[in-house]
Amino acid sequence: MEVSDSVIDHLRRVVPLPDLAGTRYQLESEIGRGGLGVVYAARDRDLDRRVALKILEVPVEGEAQVIARLEHPAIVPIYETGTLIDGRSFYAMKLVTGARLDHYVHSEHKLGERLRIIRRVGEALAYAHSKAVIHRDLKPQNVMVGEFGEVYVMDWGVETVAGTPGFRAPESTLDQQSDIYSLGALLQFLVPPAMSAAVAAIAAKASHTDPGQRYGSVTALLGDIDRFEQGLAIEAWSEPIWHRLQRFASRNAVLLWLLAAYTAVKFFLFFWHRF
Amino acid sequence: MDADTAIGGQAAQFPSTHLSLIEATEAGLSSEAMNHVVALYWKPVYKFIRLKLQKSNEDSKDLTQGFFTSALQRDFFSRFDPCKASFRTYLRMAVERYAANQHAADNREKRGGSVQFETVDDHDVPTESPEVEFEREWRRQLFSHALDDLRSHCRETGKQVHFGIFEDYDLTDRDRLSYSDLAVKYGIPETSVTNYLAWARRTLRAFITERLRGTTSGEKELHEELRRLWK
Amino acid sequence: MNKILVGLIFGLGLGALDGATALFYPETRPLIVGILIGSSFKGMLVGVVSGWFARKVQSTGWGIAVGSVLGLLFAFFVAFMDAKSGKPHYLEIMLPGFVVGAIVGFLTQRMGSPSPVNTLRN
Repeated sequence: MEVSDSVIDHLRRVVPLPDLAGTRYQLESEIGRGGLGVVYAARDRDLDRRVALKILEVPVEGEAQVIARLEHPAIVPIYETGTLIDGRSFYAMKLVTGARLDHYVHSEHKLGERLRIIRRVGEALAYAHSKAVIHRDLKPQNVMVGEFGEVYVMDWGVETVAGTPGFRAPESTLDQQSDIYSLGALLQFLVPPAMSAAVAAIAAKASHTDPGQRYGSVTALLGDIDRFEQGLAIEAWSEPIWHRLQRFASRNAVLLWLLAAYTAVKFFLFFWHRF
Repeated sequence: MDADTAIGGQAAQFPSTHLSLIEATEAGLSSEAMNHVVALYWKPVYKFIRLKLQKSNEDSKDLTQGFFTSALQRDFFSRFDPCKASFRTYLRMAVERYAANQHAADNREKRGGSVQFETVDDHDVPTESPEVEFEREWRRQLFSHALDDLRSHCRETGKQVHFGIFEDYDLTDRDRLSYSDLAVKYGIPETSVTNYLAWARRTLRAFITERLRGTTSGEKELHEELRRLWK
Repeated sequence: MNKILVGLIFGLGLGALDGATALFYPETRPLIVGILIGSSFKGMLVGVVSGWFARKVQSTGWGIAVGSVLGLLFAFFVAFMDAKSGKPHYLEIMLPGFVVGAIVGFLTQRMGSPSPVNTLRN
């Protein structure tokens, strides 16, 4: 049966739309494509609220169960899982409104704010690792920043077919170390080297090609970020002497000024006394 | 679940009738696998050869036939490595090599002078590259065959109304009838129009998946192709 | 180490150092022992009171302010006593005393453990 290209285009739009008959959801619009499925905004008719529906094209063993086990402020809560009338699995989760990190990065944000986001992502990752869950595909498209600054990490435990260049660790088996690599790459993405050489060093250590050279854990990486923010020496970087002095001076600025004032007073009195 | 709109089975999954290419080869069913490949790829290969080599209609047909004949003889599937590329890409590159060899052989036969290209005597002048036309024709063939499957299925299961509504609404280039108009036309409630349309679309999706399964290496490639198709 | 102890130690030490600078002036070199004792004692008092204040109020700004006022005050007493015995040296005693007081006030805010009652209340 011959059909025109315009009909094919139409079919490509309408055929994959999920048929939500038999569920309590009403389809609204497509939000995005992530992992192994498409995410739609929908309305929960029973609870009268908007949700995000992820329709899995590929049946993934227990993906929803993996995420549902994780209870963390930065991990999107799962409300329900089910099967559509056409056999595709779906799960309903909290609809996050905000900006994806790859869009967020284009606006003006201070270093402190960017590091705060990384810290939230890292805390979620550290929590997941403690539950033996690996993200596998951490990248800017999988991090959302809500309108009140809340941070969500999405698409857990799903390894995309091709991986995401630049954010996927080079090793073939993905584990906690590869998540650390991705977090380092994310840090590098969010905080360009021009913003801070020390943060660039932390990112470089985290995303080292040799897993043995990276941070031992996400907590260690976050610890270095904390030390950087407090003006202390960081594990990732043997800093040059002038930078160390600069750091010392900024941490002890008030004391140094007071000592300078004392010295100035003494000099003044000495020469005033002489003349 | 409404029995009238269920495809079949609790999971509402259409039974798989096609083996993947790897499964077919391992089961010694290479010729059957080749049939599925030919069904889907004959026209795309024909168009590709025609545009790439600027051959006439008859010459292009001969070359297309020659390609598939030689592919069958040379154990085409066993040399396919799914890790390197999709089957579609592998086949297209094989066609390119075949076409280049044929073109070189043709040139060797001509004595002296520059090569004369025959004019393309088709009505529509293609504006896209042969590669893009190959992809587009492949997609046309895939939908075309899947729609034939759907029509046959509807005929066999007494669902001609379902197909009629689907044809009127989704397969038309003209202004679409509204759901209420379709309900009047077919003498059914409007809610049934919605249900029949949904049924037809998901059944079509299942047939497309099956057709693709028979021309991909396995589930991984299949889902990658589906993802690309439904983008 | 609590803040009062921090104040005592730094006040004593910095007071002694401040007193030792009298060695740069020929006329005060013979009196250096008395100056050292007095300066150390003055510094210690400033340190103890600043330390007590730091246990009650956690503010670097206020700590510096209170320390410098205390340093100025005690330095005034010393300068007043010194003026009775001869030529007045108000500026030479009070100005450094002011700055040393500020330093001690700052250090008592930054170092030492705060009062446990305060941390519970806060």
